[in-house]
Amino acid sequence: MKYLKKYLYSQKVAPYIFVLPFVLSFLIFWVYPLISGITMSFQDIGFSKREWVGIENYAKLLRDKTFKLAISNSIEYMAWTIALLIPFPMIFAVMMDSRLTKAKGVWKAIMYIPALTSVVISGMLFRMMFSEADGSQMNKLMVWLGQQPIPWLKSKATSWLGLILLCCWRWTGVNMLYFLSGLKAIDSTLYEAADVDGCTAIQKFRHITLPLLQPTTIYVVTISVFAGLSMFLESFMLWGNNDSPKNIGLTIVGYLYKRGIQKNDMGYACAVGVVLLVIALLINFAQLIATGTIKIGKRKEE
Amino acid sequence: MKKLVSLLLALCMLLSLGVASAEIADVEPLTVAGPDDATAKWDMWSFVDAHNEFYAQMVDKWNAENPDRTIQITFTTYPYADMHQKMLMSLQTGKGAPDMCDIEIGQFPNFIPADEEIPLYPMNDALVGYEDMVKARLDVYSGADGNRYGIPFHVGASVMYWNAEIFEKYNLDYKSVKTWEDYTELGRKLRDASNGEVYLTSVDTAGVDWMWIAMSSYGEDWTGGLDGEVNVQLDSVKKMLEMQQQWLEEGIAMISTDGHVDLEAGFANVSSGKIASFPKAMWYMSRFINYMPEMKGKYDIGLIPTFEAGQKCSVGIGGTGTVVTNQASEPELAAEWLVWAKCGAEGQKYIWDVLGFDVCNAAYWSDPAFAENEENIYNTFFRVKPYLVLQQLDELDAIGTIYSTANSPTINDYFCTTVLNNILEDGMDVDEALQDAADYIEFEID
Amino acid sequence: MMKTQAVVDSKHANTKRAIGTVLVTGFFAILSAIIAFPLLAGLLASFHPGRELLQNGLSLNLNFDTMSLNNYIYLLSGNADSQKYFMWYGNSLELTIITVILTLLICYFVAYGMTMYRFKLGKILFFLVIATMCVPFEILLLPLYNEVTELGIINTIWGVMLPGLCSASTIFFFRQYLIGMPKELLEAARIDGCTEYGISVRIMMPLAKPAFASMAILCAMGSWNNMLWPMMVFRDADKFTLQIGLNTLLTPYGNDYDVLIAGSMFGILPIMVIFLLFQKYLIEGMTAGAVKG
Repeated sequence: MKYLKKYLYSQKVAPYIFVLPFVLSFLIFWVYPLISGITMSFQDIGFSKREWVGIENYAKLLRDKTFKLAISNSIEYMAWTIALLIPFPMIFAVMMDSRLTKAKGVWKAIMYIPALTSVVISGMLFRMMFSEADGSQMNKLMVWLGQQPIPWLKSKATSWLGLILLCCWRWTGVNMLYFLSGLKAIDSTLYEAADVDGCTAIQKFRHITLPLLQPTTIYVVTISVFAGLSMFLESFMLWGNNDSPKNIGLTIVGYLYKRGIQKNDMGYACAVGVVLLVIALLINFAQLIATGTIKIGKRKEE
Repeated sequence: MKKLVSLLLALCMLLSLGVASAEIADVEPLTVAGPDDATAKWDMWSFVDAHNEFYAQMVDKWNAENPDRTIQITFTTYPYADMHQKMLMSLQTGKGAPDMCDIEIGQFPNFIPADEEIPLYPMNDALVGYEDMVKARLDVYSGADGNRYGIPFHVGASVMYWNAEIFEKYNLDYKSVKTWEDYTELGRKLRDASNGEVYLTSVDTAGVDWMWIAMSSYGEDWTGGLDGEVNVQLDSVKKMLEMQQQWLEEGIAMISTDGHVDLEAGFANVSSGKIASFPKAMWYMSRFINYMPEMKGKYDIGLIPTFEAGQKCSVGIGGTGTVVTNQASEPELAAEWLVWAKCGAEGQKYIWDVLGFDVCNAAYWSDPAFAENEENIYNTFFRVKPYLVLQQLDELDAIGTIYSTANSPTINDYFCTTVLNNILEDGMDVDEALQDAADYIEFEID
Repeated sequence: MMKTQAVVDSKHANTKRAIGTVLVTGFFAILSAIIAFPLLAGLLASFHPGRELLQNGLSLNLNFDTMSLNNYIYLLSGNADSQKYFMWYGNSLELTIITVILTLLICYFVAYGMTMYRFKLGKILFFLVIATMCVPFEILLLPLYNEVTELGIINTIWGVMLPGLCSASTIFFFRQYLIGMPKELLEAARIDGCTEYGISVRIMMPLAKPAFASMAILCAMGSWNNMLWPMMVFRDADKFTLQIGLNTLLTPYGNDYDVLIAGSMFGILPIMVIFLLFQKYLIEGMTAGAVKG
């Protein structure tokens, strides 16, 4: 007993005990479900049946127009979030960092608050603002502009305005704070040197800020890619359920949810999940190539 | 560090405040009916509170009549989508399902798959002795194996709700409307008389009631019935959709706000007099009582127009099949109680007087205790006693049936999300939209 | 909590600079107004009857005739709806508190083990941490649901918590923080006779307090607002969290909207309070990954 205790307390064994929870959790709640998910994607699963069907689920996915729509929606959404939620927060961060700005704490706090609200609440607020009732904010705006009220959430262009606004509303402040902390890490003497050389603000931004913000940018792009690809609840809350008109709001995860949970077709849903996994890995891979190697490896040597 | 500690203290205070307030709420929100020492104890789920109140009453009545076989049921009400999802998942994993559960008709096919063991308890034996129930209503909850799995609440006969006050105001006669042509003509008159402010009706982009009514008239069924082929490219459906497109063009009808009228926005349109009539099942009467009490005495109920004389003018719409699951304890007793509660005389009376449904035992439609009862709120709310309309439908044999088959959810989903929006919102050609629907459904069913 | 940054130097303040200040500050004022708008409209709506929200949609509505505290009075009245609401509230608090405490402790120790010792597994494990971050959780949703059912922890808070306790991002953050700590401390403590576990608790943990604070807030936020997974795991209505509960009020009929809108605003409150109290730590916490990663 005493020997065991000594053994467990030794410097050799201790690290293994420290990391044990992660190893267990990794095996039980990551590796196992991942493998069982991949297995299930080759099966036809019902209440009592569980049959091997080979690649039938995947073959069907290839012909599934709704699924293709879901993929294109998810990728489109991801593209929008990257197109809007990288440049604007970056510019806002630079402006916020400027010595000219007063009352920074107040603005930062207000801009961050949307991220505190849950998707349930923020989705409900946006749904009501984009309601087709005459009294909704957007329709009041239309009337004010001399237009007719329209059913905002029934057509792609107008409903996506809501969806993307919802996303920007929640994450602009967060991303701005990321960039802000990235800016803090930039050596201020660089700017002073640039001032001496008579650089304009735009030149400084292009040649100092932008390149030196790169680690932050990569980080923000990465989280945006994953958040965008796996978006579901925003759409679920904006349309009030998983069924949007003409499936304009259907995403990959939404489709997975619909098939697996609403229609009890687990095997097919797992195949959807595997495709999502493949897309995520491909994007990861592309990013690794685009940015050289992983940053972490380099840092250690420094 | 000091600041941090004080902040943590503040946090703890805040949290304890929350926990304290949470403790006030330590009361069970679930309803339990029946004694603790009952012979059988069950869990039951529903997505409608009022249903559970009904069951609770029936538990008490049963216990009074059967002191040797008392029962206790714990009721839980979930939101519609949640409940059906939880039900599916718990039946699939074989754990956690309640003993009994309400299942909405549109979801029912998901629970009775054709090609595998059905996770529900067959009700055939329990239903012996209740042969006067409307057969079509039991058929819609039957599996491919021929067993009956769900016990219905109502027929859901569709009728036309007319805002009589509006027609009086503009001096228009709605009672003589027999065909859709008459209806359209009335719409034009109403539009002109009200300067386009009042629409005759609102057409649905998120509901298929209108399609069902049309199919019933022509004796068609897009599911193909219990052993036919799915076909959505039906003449009846085409006719109805083309007519609705025309109404929209002419400004006779509007598109239902948020998709159909059984929603808060729909109630707003009905009670504000923006629309003057709409077809809906009999159970919609309870919406008037619960959400539009100010409409008392203003609304009339009549028959829905048909395309041609002599066609069926009604169809059973909506419904709830109550099931006993294969995880139930004492399923035999559960089935017996359930059938007694929903199909027996006492239950039927409650279903009409409180829930306001058109009961499934058609014999009661002409029973004065049902049809003429002045204490029944529905009998005094409208300008006609609702069961008189039912009697009329019964005499004409005018209530059709559209089946709920394994393919129904697919058809309904696609119509409610895509087809109706394409046609009514975007004005897509009806043939083209139905062809698209046929292609989609063919893929899904495969 | 305004930060008056070093803006000083009024001597050189010329008009140009003043205009710049007005422009930039004005810009943020307008942006903040736009961003605050939906919540403000929601707050105002919570003083109006819930049915109005559903029938008319949401807008900045200052109709004093129908404005009242009724929704909040109803919410706090102690009737069945109010009890239900505070039951959800309590469940959310319970889940959040337990999740935060366990997640933080476990992730701290895991990160400690990975950074404070040189052992082969360490690097591999860190790679695995990154790997788990690269797979969206939603992919595991269905198999994880089956697994949790098989383990018999469905419909319990353990079913909700266990799969997420070893949060990769939290481990990652602690690692980034601990890696900057001087390792000499460990040796000194060992010489003093401290055990390995004693060091991690008594020496390092106090030093990592700021990291704990910021992770606590992020973790609390995530747990309080989490919805998808708890919605799948919890089956009994008396176990629902606030987010699931509020979602159940989103029926097509307006009778639940009084509680919904007032309850939503009330539900943002705890997170808002924590945010305002711990703002500094929060910002440090969430940005650490971005700068160092």
